[in-house]
Amino acid sequence: MRRKTSLVLLALAVFFAALSPLLRWYAFPRLAKIPANQYQDMVLEAKDATLIDYGSMTAKKVSKVTIVQTLKGNVEASEKIEKTAGKDVVVWDGLSYVVGPDGKMVSKIPERYIFDAHTQDPVHATGEMVDGDPVKRAGIEFKWPFLTEKRDYVYFDAQARTSAPIHYEGTRNFRGLDVYYFEQTIPWTKVPFPKTMPVQGITPQSIARTGTTRWYTTIRKFWVEPLTGAPVYGEELHKEELRGGTLLGGRDKVTVFAGDVKMREDYIRNTVDLVKSNRTLVLLMTSYLPWGFLILGVLLLASSLWLEARGRRPAPATVDEPEPVSA
Amino acid sequence: MYQFLCREVDMRALIAAATGLALAFALVLTLTALGTPTGKTSPKPLLTTVPAHP
Repeated sequence: MRRKTSLVLLALAVFFAALSPLLRWYAFPRLAKIPANQYQDMVLEAKDATLIDYGSMTAKKVSKVTIVQTLKGNVEASEKIEKTAGKDVVVWDGLSYVVGPDGKMVSKIPERYIFDAHTQDPVHATGEMVDGDPVKRAGIEFKWPFLTEKRDYVYFDAQARTSAPIHYEGTRNFRGLDVYYFEQTIPWTKVPFPKTMPVQGITPQSIARTGTTRWYTTIRKFWVEPLTGAPVYGEELHKEELRGGTLLGGRDKVTVFAGDVKMREDYIRNTVDLVKSNRTLVLLMTSYLPWGFLILGVLLLASSLWLEARGRRPAPATVDEPEPVSA
Repeated sequence: MYQFLCREVDMRALIAAATGLALAFALVLTLTALGTPTGKTSPKPLLTTVPAHP
């Protein structure tokens, strides 16, 4: 009976000891993925910003400019691409909708971002675009990979339609979370006009005929929770200008927008809460369960060996007492 | 006789260890093969108004 128990304990010890690395290095990379049907929205605000008045073509100070960003996982499109890509793919249809202080639309930029659900590597397929322009992304956008490393990444800039390094600048604490801080500077770059302009009758083609061009620079800052790869906070020091051409009436340049874009407070709280709960799930798969199983395996093995050793110990010899001798 | 018993116990230990290992592989492979459900595309629209709250 003792031997049977020790054998069962041995089987369980091997089971848990093997489960530990299998869970961490085989199951986790295959199970941790961005859900294809994810839907999320984000509100960012630039207070005391500068915004162009297209009526007078002059830059004016405004109380607030709001950016509503939505990302919606397109399951049907991802399943279609998965058939040829041979891997789990996520297709995000996104919209950056900018609203002025009067509640009217300033600009809207749709985009389609296609990427590997596990690694966050971009996947190139028909439909990948920014504002209707086909693009071929390099690097990441919106989110970092699971288990983010302390290194520079390549980040896609939707305005410039190109990718550039985003630098790891150190570890910070953001509302109780240890996060990695990343920063990217996009120097003044000529960028296309949005396809949808806020004034009726003005189109990118009609502006192009005047010779006026659109330029943009930004300092992009992200505070990224490293286990989930999710940014818990973001900021952008964003400037846009119109330069040259006949549209500006002899002026060299006019500011289209300038402001410090920050996440709205209620969205920060919501994001931090969400990331904290997702972080626990990642920790469960990468740390709590693998270490727990390993320790359990060692304990079970020790118990099994102890039982086995006891079973093999020879039984103590019995000493026959001499029978009393009768007189 | 003692040597025979030892060999028998070793074989049984080996079988027990192999069973544990096989079960661990079977469990992990099943879990990863099942994966996670993809679900359906959200019916919610891409926002063109400022939401009051998340």
